[in-house]
Amino acid sequence: MKLEEMQAVWSEMGDQLEKQKKLTDKMISMMIQEKYRNKLNKIAYPEILGAIICITAAVMILLNFNMLDNWYTQVSGIISILVLLLFPILSLRSINRMSKVDIAGNNYKETLLEYAKGKKQFMKVMKLSYYLGFILMFVIMPVTSKLIKGKDIFAESISVWTYGIAIPLAISFFIIFSRWVYKSYQNNIDAAESLINELEEND
Amino acid sequence: MSKELEFTRIIREHEGVIFKITTIYTNNHDDQKDLYQEIVYQLWKSYANFRGEAKISTWMYRVALNTAITRLKKEKRRGIQIGIDKIIMQQTQQYDTEFEERLKVLYTHIHGLNELEKGVMLLLLEGKKYEEIAEITGLSPSNVGTRISRIKQKLKSQIVKK
Repeated sequence: MKLEEMQAVWSEMGDQLEKQKKLTDKMISMMIQEKYRNKLNKIAYPEILGAIICITAAVMILLNFNMLDNWYTQVSGIISILVLLLFPILSLRSINRMSKVDIAGNNYKETLLEYAKGKKQFMKVMKLSYYLGFILMFVIMPVTSKLIKGKDIFAESISVWTYGIAIPLAISFFIIFSRWVYKSYQNNIDAAESLINELEEND
Repeated sequence: MSKELEFTRIIREHEGVIFKITTIYTNNHDDQKDLYQEIVYQLWKSYANFRGEAKISTWMYRVALNTAITRLKKEKRRGIQIGIDKIIMQQTQQYDTEFEERLKVLYTHIHGLNELEKGVMLLLLEGKKYEEIAEITGLSPSNVGTRISRIKQKLKSQIVKK
Protein backbone atom coordinates (compact mmCIF):
# COMPACT_ATOMS: atom_id res chain seq x y z
CA MET A 1 0.00 0.00 0.00
CA LYS A 2 1.42 3.38 -1.00
CA LEU A 3 1.45 6.39 1.30
CA GLU A 4 -1.22 8.18 -0.74
CA GLU A 5 -3.48 5.15 -0.52
CA MET A 6 -2.87 4.95 3.22
CA GLN A 7 -3.81 8.58 3.59
CA ALA A 8 -7.05 7.94 1.69
CA VAL A 9 -7.99 4.99 3.95
CA TRP A 10 -7.08 7.01 7.04
CA SER A 11 -9.14 9.95 5.96
CA GLU A 12 -12.12 7.69 5.16
CA MET A 13 -11.87 6.20 8.65
CA GLY A 14 -11.74 9.72 10.08
CA ASP A 15 -14.91 10.66 8.20
CA GLN A 16 -16.72 7.60 9.47
CA LEU A 17 -15.60 8.25 13.04
CA GLU A 18 -16.80 11.82 12.75
CA LYS A 19 -20.30 10.56 11.92
CA GLN A 20 -20.39 8.12 14.81
CA LYS A 21 -19.54 10.23 17.80
CA LYS A 22 -20.45 8.13 20.79
CA LEU A 23 -18.79 9.62 23.84
CA THR A 24 -21.18 11.04 26.41
CA ASP A 25 -20.41 13.74 28.98
CA LYS A 26 -20.92 11.17 31.72
CA MET A 27 -18.30 8.82 30.21
CA ILE A 28 -15.74 11.61 29.98
CA SER A 29 -16.52 12.74 33.51
CA MET A 30 -15.90 9.20 34.76
CA MET A 31 -12.70 8.81 32.76
CA ILE A 32 -11.12 11.85 34.35
CA GLN A 33 -11.65 10.57 37.87
CA GLU A 34 -8.62 8.98 39.48
CA LYS A 35 -10.65 6.13 40.99
CA TYR A 36 -11.62 4.78 37.57
CA ARG A 37 -8.13 4.86 36.23
CA ASN A 38 -6.36 1.65 35.39
CA LYS A 39 -3.37 2.29 37.60
CA LEU A 40 -2.30 -1.31 37.29
CA ASN A 41 -0.74 -0.45 33.95
CA LYS A 42 1.38 2.23 35.50
CA ILE A 43 2.41 0.69 38.75
CA ALA A 44 4.07 -2.63 38.42
CA TYR A 45 2.26 -4.60 41.12
CA PRO A 46 4.21 -7.85 40.65
CA GLU A 47 7.44 -5.95 41.22
CA ILE A 48 6.06 -4.33 44.38
CA LEU A 49 4.80 -7.68 45.66
CA GLY A 50 8.18 -9.24 44.83
CA ALA A 51 9.93 -6.43 46.71
CA ILE A 52 7.82 -7.06 49.83
CA ILE A 53 8.60 -10.79 49.70
CA CYS A 54 12.33 -10.17 49.19
CA ILE A 55 12.59 -7.61 51.99
CA THR A 56 10.59 -9.84 54.38
CA ALA A 57 12.88 -12.78 53.61
CA ALA A 58 16.00 -10.62 54.12
CA VAL A 59 14.68 -9.35 57.47
CA MET A 60 13.85 -12.91 58.59
CA ILE A 61 17.39 -14.07 57.82
CA LEU A 62 18.85 -11.02 59.55
CA LEU A 63 16.73 -11.52 62.69
CA ASN A 64 17.74 -15.17 62.94
CA PHE A 65 21.34 -14.70 61.86
CA ASN A 66 22.62 -16.06 65.19
CA MET A 67 21.23 -19.49 64.20
CA LEU A 68 23.74 -19.66 61.36
CA ASP A 69 26.57 -21.08 63.40
CA ASN A 70 29.33 -21.85 60.91
CA TRP A 71 31.22 -19.81 58.34
CA TYR A 72 29.61 -21.25 55.20
CA THR A 73 26.00 -20.78 56.34
CA GLN A 74 26.93 -17.28 57.51
CA VAL A 75 28.48 -16.43 54.12
CA SER A 76 25.40 -17.89 52.40
CA GLY A 77 23.22 -15.82 54.73
CA ILE A 78 25.05 -12.59 53.92
CA ILE A 79 24.94 -13.25 50.16
CA SER A 80 21.23 -14.10 50.40
CA ILE A 81 20.45 -10.88 52.27
CA LEU A 82 22.43 -8.80 49.75
CA VAL A 83 20.73 -10.42 46.75
CA LEU A 84 17.29 -10.14 48.37
CA LEU A 85 17.79 -6.42 48.98
CA LEU A 86 19.42 -5.74 45.62
CA PHE A 87 16.51 -7.28 43.65
CA PRO A 88 13.77 -4.82 44.67
CA ILE A 89 16.02 -1.76 44.76
CA LEU A 90 17.15 -2.28 41.17
CA SER A 91 13.79 -3.17 39.68
CA LEU A 92 11.77 -0.49 41.50
CA ARG A 93 14.36 2.15 40.65
CA SER A 94 14.17 1.42 36.95
CA ILE A 95 10.34 1.31 36.97
CA ASN A 96 10.30 4.61 38.81
CA ARG A 97 12.54 6.13 36.16
CA MET A 98 10.16 5.09 33.39
CA SER A 99 7.06 6.36 35.18
CA LYS A 100 8.60 9.77 35.89
CA VAL A 101 8.56 10.87 32.25
CA ASP A 102 6.88 14.27 31.95
CA ILE A 103 3.94 13.48 29.68
CA ALA A 104 2.55 17.01 29.58
CA GLY A 105 5.82 18.92 29.27
CA ASN A 106 7.92 16.78 26.96
CA ASN A 107 7.68 16.55 23.22
CA TYR A 108 7.43 13.14 21.53
CA LYS A 109 11.16 12.84 20.90
CA GLU A 110 12.11 13.67 24.49
CA THR A 111 9.54 11.24 25.88
CA LEU A 112 10.61 8.50 23.52
CA LEU A 113 14.27 9.03 24.40
CA GLU A 114 13.71 9.06 28.17
CA TYR A 115 11.40 6.08 27.97
CA ALA A 116 13.72 4.05 25.73
CA LYS A 117 16.62 4.70 28.11
CA GLY A 118 14.48 3.66 31.06
CA LYS A 119 13.30 0.57 29.24
CA LYS A 120 16.82 -0.44 28.33
CA GLN A 121 17.84 -0.06 31.95
CA PHE A 122 14.82 -2.06 33.11
CA MET A 123 15.58 -4.89 30.67
CA LYS A 124 19.17 -5.03 31.90
CA VAL A 125 17.95 -5.21 35.48
CA MET A 126 15.52 -7.98 34.60
CA LYS A 127 18.27 -9.96 32.90
CA LEU A 128 20.55 -9.51 35.89
CA SER A 129 17.70 -10.50 38.23
CA TYR A 130 17.35 -13.88 36.54
CA TYR A 131 21.03 -14.60 37.04
CA LEU A 132 20.95 -13.36 40.62
CA GLY A 133 17.88 -15.50 41.15
CA PHE A 134 19.81 -18.63 40.33
CA ILE A 135 22.65 -17.65 42.64
CA LEU A 136 20.06 -17.04 45.34
CA MET A 137 18.49 -20.44 44.71
CA PHE A 138 21.79 -22.13 45.68
CA VAL A 139 22.95 -19.88 48.52
CA ILE A 140 19.58 -19.77 50.25
CA MET A 141 19.31 -23.58 50.51
CA PRO A 142 21.75 -24.03 53.43
CA VAL A 143 20.33 -20.92 55.10
CA THR A 144 16.68 -21.99 55.01
CA SER A 145 17.58 -25.55 55.94
CA LYS A 146 19.39 -24.24 59.01
CA LEU A 147 16.74 -21.69 59.95
CA ILE A 148 13.66 -23.85 59.40
CA LYS A 149 14.81 -27.36 60.25
CA GLY A 150 17.97 -26.59 62.17
CA LYS A 151 19.91 -28.87 59.79
CA ASP A 152 23.27 -28.29 58.16
CA ILE A 153 22.71 -29.66 54.64
CA PHE A 154 26.42 -29.80 53.89
CA ALA A 155 27.06 -32.04 56.88
CA GLU A 156 23.88 -34.11 56.97
CA SER A 157 22.39 -34.64 53.56
CA ILE A 158 25.18 -36.04 51.46
CA SER A 159 23.00 -38.20 49.26
CA VAL A 160 23.09 -39.43 45.68
CA TRP A 161 19.83 -37.62 45.05
CA THR A 162 21.22 -34.21 46.08
CA TYR A 163 24.64 -34.28 44.50
CA GLY A 164 24.08 -36.79 41.71
CA ILE A 165 20.70 -35.72 40.38
CA ALA A 166 19.19 -32.53 41.88
CA ILE A 167 22.20 -30.20 41.62
CA PRO A 168 23.32 -31.29 38.10
CA LEU A 169 19.69 -31.01 36.97
CA ALA A 170 19.41 -27.50 38.44
CA ILE A 171 22.68 -26.46 36.75
CA SER A 172 21.58 -27.83 33.35
CA PHE A 173 18.25 -26.07 33.71
CA PHE A 174 20.06 -22.86 34.62
CA ILE A 175 22.29 -23.03 31.52
CA ILE A 176 19.34 -23.61 29.16
CA PHE A 177 17.14 -21.05 30.87
CA SER A 178 19.82 -18.35 31.08
CA ARG A 179 20.48 -18.67 27.34
CA TRP A 180 16.78 -18.14 26.68
CA VAL A 181 16.65 -15.20 29.09
CA TYR A 182 19.72 -13.64 27.49
CA LYS A 183 18.26 -13.95 24.01
CA SER A 184 14.82 -12.60 24.82
CA TYR A 185 16.00 -9.62 26.88
CA GLN A 186 18.90 -8.85 24.55
CA ASN A 187 16.50 -8.42 21.62
CA ASN A 188 14.55 -5.81 23.58
CA ILE A 189 17.73 -4.10 24.77
CA ASP A 190 19.04 -3.96 21.19
CA ALA A 191 15.74 -2.52 19.94
CA ALA A 192 15.79 0.18 22.64
CA GLU A 193 19.46 0.88 21.90
CA SER A 194 18.85 1.32 18.19
CA LEU A 195 15.92 3.67 18.88
CA ILE A 196 18.11 5.72 21.25
CA ASN A 197 20.82 5.98 18.58
CA GLU A 198 18.26 7.03 16.00
CA LEU A 199 16.83 9.68 18.32
CA GLU A 200 20.25 11.01 19.21
CA GLU A 201 21.25 11.38 15.60
CA ASN A 202 21.99 14.99 14.83
CA ASP A 203 19.28 16.94 13.10
CA MET B 1 -18.35 27.66 31.10
CA SER B 2 -16.70 25.53 33.81
CA LYS B 3 -13.32 24.00 33.15
CA GLU B 4 -14.76 20.47 33.14
CA LEU B 5 -17.50 21.36 30.69
CA GLU B 6 -14.98 23.04 28.40
CA PHE B 7 -12.72 20.00 28.61
CA THR B 8 -15.62 17.65 27.89
CA ARG B 9 -16.46 19.66 24.79
CA ILE B 10 -12.86 19.45 23.55
CA ILE B 11 -12.72 15.71 24.11
CA ARG B 12 -16.01 15.12 22.33
CA GLU B 13 -14.77 17.22 19.44
CA HIS B 14 -11.57 15.18 19.17
CA GLU B 15 -12.78 11.73 20.18
CA GLY B 16 -11.94 10.35 16.74
CA VAL B 17 -8.32 11.48 17.09
CA ILE B 18 -7.94 9.69 20.43
CA PHE B 19 -9.55 6.59 18.95
CA LYS B 20 -7.14 6.58 15.99
CA ILE B 21 -4.11 6.96 18.26
CA THR B 22 -5.25 4.04 20.39
CA THR B 23 -5.60 1.81 17.33
CA ILE B 24 -1.98 2.45 16.36
CA TYR B 25 -0.41 1.86 19.75
CA THR B 26 -2.32 -1.22 20.86
CA ASN B 27 -2.96 -4.69 19.52
CA ASN B 28 -6.23 -5.67 21.15
CA HIS B 29 -9.53 -4.17 22.34
CA ASP B 30 -8.74 -4.39 26.06
CA ASP B 31 -5.46 -2.53 25.71
CA GLN B 32 -7.16 -0.05 23.45
CA LYS B 33 -9.84 0.69 26.05
CA ASP B 34 -7.21 1.11 28.76
CA LEU B 35 -5.19 3.47 26.63
CA TYR B 36 -8.25 5.50 25.62
CA GLN B 37 -9.12 6.03 29.26
CA GLU B 38 -5.54 6.83 30.23
CA ILE B 39 -5.20 9.41 27.44
CA VAL B 40 -8.38 11.21 28.51
CA TYR B 41 -7.16 11.16 32.12
CA GLN B 42 -3.71 12.52 31.23
CA LEU B 43 -5.27 15.21 29.04
CA TRP B 44 -7.46 16.28 31.95
CA LYS B 45 -4.46 16.33 34.30
CA SER B 46 -2.45 18.55 31.98
CA TYR B 47 -5.42 20.66 30.92
CA ALA B 48 -5.06 22.82 34.05
CA ASN B 49 -1.63 23.93 32.82
CA PHE B 50 -2.62 24.39 29.20
CA ARG B 51 -2.21 28.10 28.56
CA GLY B 52 -3.18 28.16 24.93
CA GLU B 53 0.35 28.89 23.70
CA ALA B 54 0.11 25.97 21.30
CA LYS B 55 -2.91 24.96 19.25
CA ILE B 56 -5.31 22.74 21.19
CA SER B 57 -4.78 19.92 18.67
CA THR B 58 -0.97 20.20 19.04
CA TRP B 59 -1.26 19.93 22.82
CA MET B 60 -3.68 17.05 22.47
CA TYR B 61 -1.50 15.04 20.06
CA ARG B 62 1.54 15.65 22.23
CA VAL B 63 -0.05 14.42 25.45
CA ALA B 64 -1.86 11.53 23.76
CA LEU B 65 1.25 10.30 21.95
CA ASN B 66 3.38 10.64 25.09
CA THR B 67 0.81 8.66 27.06
CA ALA B 68 0.71 5.96 24.41
CA ILE B 69 4.46 5.36 24.38
CA THR B 70 5.01 5.52 28.12
CA ARG B 71 2.29 3.08 29.03
CA LEU B 72 3.82 -0.05 30.45
CA LYS B 73 2.27 -2.88 28.53
CA LYS B 74 1.07 -5.31 31.11
CA GLU B 75 -1.55 -7.43 29.49
CA LYS B 76 -4.31 -9.13 31.43
CA ARG B 77 -4.16 -6.56 34.22
CA ARG B 78 -7.44 -4.79 34.21
CA GLY B 79 -8.66 -1.89 36.26
CA ILE B 80 -12.19 -0.54 36.27
CA GLN B 81 -13.22 0.28 32.73
CA ILE B 82 -15.73 2.90 31.74
CA GLY B 83 -18.38 1.77 29.28
CA ILE B 84 -16.33 2.70 26.27
CA ASP B 85 -16.38 -0.92 25.09
CA LYS B 86 -19.42 -0.10 23.03
CA ILE B 87 -17.75 2.84 21.33
CA ILE B 88 -14.71 0.89 20.30
CA MET B 89 -16.71 -2.16 19.23
CA GLN B 90 -19.30 -0.16 17.33
CA GLN B 91 -16.79 2.06 15.64
CA THR B 92 -14.93 -0.86 14.19
CA GLN B 93 -17.96 -3.01 13.44
CA GLN B 94 -19.62 -0.58 11.10
CA TYR B 95 -17.03 -0.81 8.36
CA ASP B 96 -17.71 -2.92 5.27
CA THR B 97 -15.53 -5.93 4.59
CA GLU B 98 -13.53 -4.35 1.81
CA PHE B 99 -12.74 -1.27 3.86
CA GLU B 100 -11.93 -3.46 6.86
CA GLU B 101 -9.41 -5.31 4.66
CA ARG B 102 -7.74 -2.07 3.54
CA LEU B 103 -7.61 -0.90 7.14
CA LYS B 104 -5.94 -4.15 8.15
CA VAL B 105 -3.26 -3.67 5.50
CA LEU B 106 -2.77 -0.08 6.69
CA TYR B 107 -2.35 -1.18 10.31
CA THR B 108 0.04 -3.96 9.32
CA HIS B 109 2.25 -1.36 7.64
CA ILE B 110 2.08 1.00 10.61
CA HIS B 111 2.81 -1.73 13.15
CA GLY B 112 5.93 -2.54 11.12
CA LEU B 113 7.38 0.90 11.90
CA ASN B 114 9.39 1.79 14.98
CA GLU B 115 7.96 4.08 17.69
CA LEU B 116 9.45 7.27 16.28
CA GLU B 117 8.29 6.52 12.75
CA LYS B 118 4.87 5.51 14.04
CA GLY B 119 4.35 8.94 15.62
CA VAL B 120 5.51 10.78 12.51
CA MET B 121 3.37 8.53 10.32
CA LEU B 122 0.26 9.12 12.42
CA LEU B 123 0.67 12.87 12.18
CA LEU B 124 1.32 12.64 8.48
CA LEU B 125 -1.84 10.58 7.99
CA GLU B 126 -3.71 13.16 10.04
CA GLY B 127 -2.72 15.67 7.39
CA LYS B 128 -0.36 17.68 9.58
CA LYS B 129 2.20 19.94 7.92
CA TYR B 130 5.92 19.39 8.52
CA GLU B 131 6.09 22.40 10.89
CA GLU B 132 3.31 21.06 13.08
CA ILE B 133 4.77 17.56 13.05
CA ALA B 134 8.06 19.14 14.12
CA GLU B 135 6.35 21.05 16.93
CA ILE B 136 4.66 17.95 18.29
CA THR B 137 7.58 15.58 17.92
CA GLY B 138 10.48 17.88 18.78
CA LEU B 139 12.25 17.04 15.50
CA SER B 140 13.36 19.82 13.19
CA PRO B 141 11.21 20.34 10.06
CA SER B 142 14.10 19.13 7.86
CA ASN B 143 14.48 16.01 10.01
CA VAL B 144 10.74 15.39 9.69
CA GLY B 145 11.25 15.41 5.91
CA THR B 146 14.11 12.93 6.19
CA ARG B 147 12.08 10.63 8.43
CA ILE B 148 9.15 10.73 6.04
CA SER B 149 11.41 9.77 3.12
CA ARG B 150 12.71 6.84 5.19
CA ILE B 151 9.18 5.78 6.06
CA LYS B 152 8.24 5.84 2.36
CA GLN B 153 11.24 3.66 1.57
CA LYS B 154 10.35 1.30 4.35
CA LEU B 155 6.79 1.03 3.04
CA LYS B 156 8.08 0.31 -0.45
CA SER B 157 10.35 -2.44 0.84
CA GLN B 158 7.42 -3.93 2.79
CA ILE B 159 5.45 -4.09 -0.47
CA VAL B 160 8.39 -5.70 -2.32
CA LYS B 161 8.77 -8.34 0.42
CA LYS B 162 5.15 -9.35 -0.03
